[in-house]
Amino acid sequence: MRKVSGIVLLLLIAAATAAIFAPVQALADEIKMVGAITKIEISGQDATTATATLKDNKTGELVTVIVNDDLTLDKFKDHRIVPGDEIRLKYEVKDGKNISRYFRKTAGC
Amino acid sequence: MKRYLIALALLVVAGAAVQAKEHPGKAYVEKNGYGGPATCEAQACHPGSARKFLDTVHWKHASPVTNVDNLEPEKEYGMKNRIYTMCNGNDIVNNLKEIPPNPKTGKTKFTGCNTCHPGDHISDVGSTGTGAEAAIDCLLCHSSAYDYRQRKPFKDEKGRVVMGQDRSVKAAMAVGKPGVKNCMICHEAAGGGVLVKRGFSFTRETDVHAGKGMVCVDCHGAKDHKIPTGYDPNNWASDGIRVACADCHGENPHADEDNNRHVARIACQTCHIPRTGGAVAKDFTRWTQGEDGFFEPTTLRMEANETAPVYAWYDRTVANTPTFIGPKGSRGDRQSRIYPFKLYEGKAYFDRKTGTLLSMDFAPPMATGDTLAGVVSAAKTLGIKEYDPVPGWQTIYFGSSHLVTKEKALSCANCHAPNGALNFKSLGYADEEIRKLTSAALYFDKMAEKQKENW
Repeated sequence: MRKVSGIVLLLLIAAATAAIFAPVQALADEIKMVGAITKIEISGQDATTATATLKDNKTGELVTVIVNDDLTLDKFKDHRIVPGDEIRLKYEVKDGKNISRYFRKTAGC
Repeated sequence: MKRYLIALALLVVAGAAVQAKEHPGKAYVEKNGYGGPATCEAQACHPGSARKFLDTVHWKHASPVTNVDNLEPEKEYGMKNRIYTMCNGNDIVNNLKEIPPNPKTGKTKFTGCNTCHPGDHISDVGSTGTGAEAAIDCLLCHSSAYDYRQRKPFKDEKGRVVMGQDRSVKAAMAVGKPGVKNCMICHEAAGGGVLVKRGFSFTRETDVHAGKGMVCVDCHGAKDHKIPTGYDPNNWASDGIRVACADCHGENPHADEDNNRHVARIACQTCHIPRTGGAVAKDFTRWTQGEDGFFEPTTLRMEANETAPVYAWYDRTVANTPTFIGPKGSRGDRQSRIYPFKLYEGKAYFDRKTGTLLSMDFAPPMATGDTLAGVVSAAKTLGIKEYDPVPGWQTIYFGSSHLVTKEKALSCANCHAPNGALNFKSLGYADEEIRKLTSAALYFDKMAEKQKENW
């Protein structure tokens, strides 16, 4: 009986630990960075997706993200956003791919 | 309700007809190319439009202002010359130019408040004459195929800073009524970045009007390029034409008469714009260095719909002192209604001797972070010789007239509850009135009935 109670207690602790750390893990999947665009690849005016490569200001590493939101795609198409622009970016890694969740120019007037 | 649906259907049909109709003059443009306003005025298509445009707020960045305290009656005010703490510079002191090289990187860049002015910078804010008319960038607002790579500042052979324009045939062949992006190319990035100043985006997700396929000029419909505006306490310049929700929705827009009774003292925005966004505070005395080496004013940014508004009585006249820009009005004044506002606080330099707010040329601090050098440069431009800069704060109430929602509008229980959306005490109500106004007894039976109908 005492052994069963011990196992239950251990399971409860494990469940509580998972509950505490699960949201942290979910949040950790969203990565933030600021960097300049080095390349935009988009296949024509009807494209529903594009890839953008940015150079992370902090690390100097190149990060390629997939952009699916209509507003940003439209800005790529008419060149409101172009290579050289500095971008505030949030993305998450899904199935090994970087998916853009927030793609904004840092500059304004 | 039925008449609104009919009106909407007519609008949609009319809109489709207008879109389907090809803009005249395309053959002329194909043959002769596009040469700016002269092309638009050729063949008597838009006679006098360019000249008239020079007399609008979009060109002058200023107008007479009659509803704001402490202004000189004969003077015009606007982005051209205002000094406040969302944009501590203006077109005069922070004119578009190449800033000094950053000491760390040696790099420089072009920046200035008048970057969004629809001229070529040689003909700048408020300029007049044939040169100014020829410099108007019509396609920036009217083309759906504008190549924004062309709209960049550069130095010409004389060393002057010129703003580029897309005057291609391709852009000219795609002219029409301005779309959302034509407006947002300037308006979304005002105040130092995307959604910083006003903090609203106009998308299907964030505004019920955008969700219905409407564009900015469906409400802000221009006449001779004079564009109607509301009464934002911080947006002073106007073309003298105003826009209001009631222009389309009337004074009794609800099916529910209890809701309609609110309209007399509660602005539509109060219930239908329950959230706001954009920068909540900015410090012009302490700039933050970015990874690119350049400095920007330290800014607390918020997303659209991320902050709650403050509510105040507003009679559409504005208190204006060095430390406060905001609504005037009171419960006792029948012209006043309760409006929502985006509250913003800005820190900048004031003159210790006079208490007036000083302005800033952004070029020096952007390059080196030296904010006082920016104050010195601006004072020199304005001819101010004696001043003693000291940091201080200014509070600004921004009007909140976008991010309109029907589904998420405030309902009875949101306001008529203890600790609800409205602070009845600060709105001038007595304790006994507040006790009644914040009790479920006010609306319980009605809401219970509605609840039964809904389920």
